[in-house]
Amino acid sequence: MKAWHYIILAIVLIILAIQLVPVDLPPVEHDNPGDLLGSGIVDGEVADLLQTACYNCHSNTTQYPWYSHVAPVSWLVAKDVRVGREEVNFSTWADYELMDQLAILDDIYSNVEEAHMPLPIYVTMHAEADLDNAQRQKIVDWAEATMDILAEEY
Amino acid sequence: MKRIALLPVAAIVGLLFFQASQKPEAEKHPDLILFDAKMPANVKAVVEQKCYGCHNADSKNEKGKKKLDWDFFEAEKKSKQLATMSKINEVLTEGDMPPAKFLENRPEGKLSDEEKEILMDWSAGKKKKGE
Repeated sequence: MKAWHYIILAIVLIILAIQLVPVDLPPVEHDNPGDLLGSGIVDGEVADLLQTACYNCHSNTTQYPWYSHVAPVSWLVAKDVRVGREEVNFSTWADYELMDQLAILDDIYSNVEEAHMPLPIYVTMHAEADLDNAQRQKIVDWAEATMDILAEEY
Repeated sequence: MKRIALLPVAAIVGLLFFQASQKPEAEKHPDLILFDAKMPANVKAVVEQKCYGCHNADSKNEKGKKKLDWDFFEAEKKSKQLATMSKINEVLTEGDMPPAKFLENRPEGKLSDEEKEILMDWSAGKKKKGE
């Protein structure tokens, strides 16, 4: 065997070995009575946009592609989904206090407008989640209008 | 005779004053004025002393200014003010403000327990009181 044979063998062994590291992909839950989509404050195109662009990380209804079960990609996916749900989980929208809902909408506004979200690395693997400027504007307008409506309840 | 004639004139003049002092405030965002009245003086005092240095319109700290600008806060809509209060409350709960790095050089900038409580109480809004 030549040297490069050993190198390839070593790489293959390492990839196989890291599959044994346990990964905790956050669980999927499809029964979410408090979901934003059922709250009555969003519908139509914006609801669709949120679902395709945000819901894989920011809800309990994550759709894991096959490669998200393969290390080391699985580690990244697990972390992004976990952190994403911690920041905001649209599946538990009804559990947030009114003021926190306003803060979340305000963050949606700025993160979508400034293209911090969806994460650029996520969009490279999920072209369907990418938002064009017109779509971003729709989400931004919706967020601002919804903030005003919710603030009236305060 | 003269005095009786003066009465309606005085009433009209009085009415004008009443109108003049009421009108501008009532027409301009009634919500906002009502809401502004709720930012108490003790909160403003802490903000001026411990937050305003970075969070103002002329701040050289671009990040701080962008996140929160006190010169702009009171002119904001109610929805925006409430969102900002919620974020202030979260940052204080996490103990992220003032930033640890800033306090290294300026330990006197730290919020005292009392000051922190004043800001926490205010920024919680109706949360704790349960409406």
